[in-house]
Amino acid sequence: MTKLSRKERMQKAQEMAGISFWVDLRMGRLTKYAVQKQVKRIVAMIFRYVILICLSFVVITPLWNLVRDAFTAPAVLGDKSTSWIPQQFSSIFMDMAWSKSLMNYLPSLAYSLFNTVILTFLQVLTTGLAAYSFARLKFKGSGILFFFVVLTIVVPTDSIMLAQYAAFRNFDIFGLIGLINGSGAGLNLIDKPASQYILAATGMGVKSGLYIYFMRQAVRGLPISIEEAAHVDGAGFLRTFFGIVVPSMSGAILTVSVLSFLWNYTDTYYTGLLNRNTHHLAYRYSQLQGNVRWDMDSAAKANADWLTVINASDPFMQTAVISACAILVVVPLLIMYAFVQKRFVQGAARSGLGGD
Amino acid sequence: MKKDKKTAAPKPGLSWYKRMDFSKKTALWGMIFLLPWLIGLIFFFLRPVVNTVWYSLCSMRMENGKFVGTFNGIENLKWVLGVNANYNRMITTALTNMLKEVPFQIFLALFIAMLLNGEYRGRGIFRAIFVIPIILATGVATFKLREASLTTVAAEAVMDMKWLEKLVINSGIPEELTSLLVTYVNDIFTVVTTCGVQVLLFLSGLQAISPTLYEVAKMEGCTQFETFCKITLPMVSPTILVCLVYSIAESFATATVPYNDTTMKLTAYIRQITFNGAAEYFGYGAAMSLIYFVVTLVVIGVICGIVSKGVFYYD
Repeated sequence: MTKLSRKERMQKAQEMAGISFWVDLRMGRLTKYAVQKQVKRIVAMIFRYVILICLSFVVITPLWNLVRDAFTAPAVLGDKSTSWIPQQFSSIFMDMAWSKSLMNYLPSLAYSLFNTVILTFLQVLTTGLAAYSFARLKFKGSGILFFFVVLTIVVPTDSIMLAQYAAFRNFDIFGLIGLINGSGAGLNLIDKPASQYILAATGMGVKSGLYIYFMRQAVRGLPISIEEAAHVDGAGFLRTFFGIVVPSMSGAILTVSVLSFLWNYTDTYYTGLLNRNTHHLAYRYSQLQGNVRWDMDSAAKANADWLTVINASDPFMQTAVISACAILVVVPLLIMYAFVQKRFVQGAARSGLGGD
Repeated sequence: MKKDKKTAAPKPGLSWYKRMDFSKKTALWGMIFLLPWLIGLIFFFLRPVVNTVWYSLCSMRMENGKFVGTFNGIENLKWVLGVNANYNRMITTALTNMLKEVPFQIFLALFIAMLLNGEYRGRGIFRAIFVIPIILATGVATFKLREASLTTVAAEAVMDMKWLEKLVINSGIPEELTSLLVTYVNDIFTVVTTCGVQVLLFLSGLQAISPTLYEVAKMEGCTQFETFCKITLPMVSPTILVCLVYSIAESFATATVPYNDTTMKLTAYIRQITFNGAAEYFGYGAAMSLIYFVVTLVVIGVICGIVSKGVFYYD
């Protein structure tokens, strides 16, 4: 039997059932109702596409401007008549952005992805556990503690910046570390990845409060009967959580993971405060904006082809190079999301529940 | 069925756990699950916040390179609300902007999410496109956005709204209503770029709805509108609550407020006051932060208190 594509299978099934509009049309048994329905469907489809395309246009424009600037040839840069498509293409700015003195792309990308994956995993694990606890494993005072989740969403990070820095400058929990090394002083975790990991693992990383709130709501949207059934069948709490709850709220977890990945990858606040590693792409990019001129100079010195074309003090060229860097930062995220979004599928939360 | 070998002879060390009743076990595991977060909350969040609250009640001064505070009651708060000319106005502007912006944001986000959801050609591309605002809002490429507010340029390029504006204004509808409507229409493009997170959350909420519910509705002969009101809306209502909290918090955090003759971010103003250089301003900044938290929390409390009455949960 040959393997049919999804669409062909659908068509075949419709033909067999005799419910497709086109089948009816061919057989000459169209009813007024069927025509009405088909017209409604087409109108709804057009409506959807028109609105989506219009809104997409708004969303894409800033990104497209980056692409346009980055791929314009140096000679025609800053030409007023260019509005959408550059008059002359060149990849020179992309090459520069890729090079060692600007983004140092491949090593930086590897570091950023590695770091982000760890942070995302820690963050999702902690916030997921906390969210489940808030939704289902209630104890005295968990309502009051949930108030603090909202507080973590509300309090702007600026206002606790100094104290957080101090906490990692002299890192200690209950004075234990000071006791062990005898000096009474804690560890200095500034500029070590550990500081960010600790923050993520204790649920205080980038926008953790939002994740807890969102996953709590997702858990509360699940029917409790499955968990009750699991408990009756003798599953422990950990097993219920990882075996039942996690799979049935996989959509919410996926969303949170995507958000966490995006925000950790592009985070410059915590990176700049606690772990100033120039390999972190977003941090490197944020640093770049101040000293792009010198970086461009040193890049041009390393490559004879660029030396003649690039004028590092030209603001248009600076903008073009920064745009190219921004694209390099953003593109991995888009590729990742394009793959991940296929897994956003209609949930089967209620499968396994008969007659409820 | 798998045979459970562990049922016989429980480990003696665990007997106290076995004897515990279920509600106590639940509470115990609730605390265990919450432990990592609780540690973080106490060490990296509550301590700084409590410090801020304490500073706001102290008059601060520098002594040997260290900040020392002596308690002086509500003097700082008095300074912020009485002496400082800007802060009152800033908070009220942020508040009114928030009240205008957030409902529209939520509505639009739900609308976009519903369009993105479902089966149609190219949905992968569209879904990927609507993540771009989240990425761009994080600071990557903000220098471009700041330079010239590109979204408004784009908006004008796509469609000139002026004729619509005139039409609505001349239509005889009360002026307050039309002006509100016109601001919404003009804002649509900026709002689209700021509601990326909400769209993603709603999309996830919509996908958690079981298709069987829609099948039932169809069999029973519900119209599209009835299906929306009776199924979609209740089922995404928990997500609406999350989005509300997030939108309100974010709206305050990114609020641009009038400052002298220009505008400025509210949080940036607080930071500017705090690190003004003079030690006593540290206390003033703390007081401003405190007012900011309290106002935001009260707004969230009131709005979510009302909305949560209508939220549907399974439990």
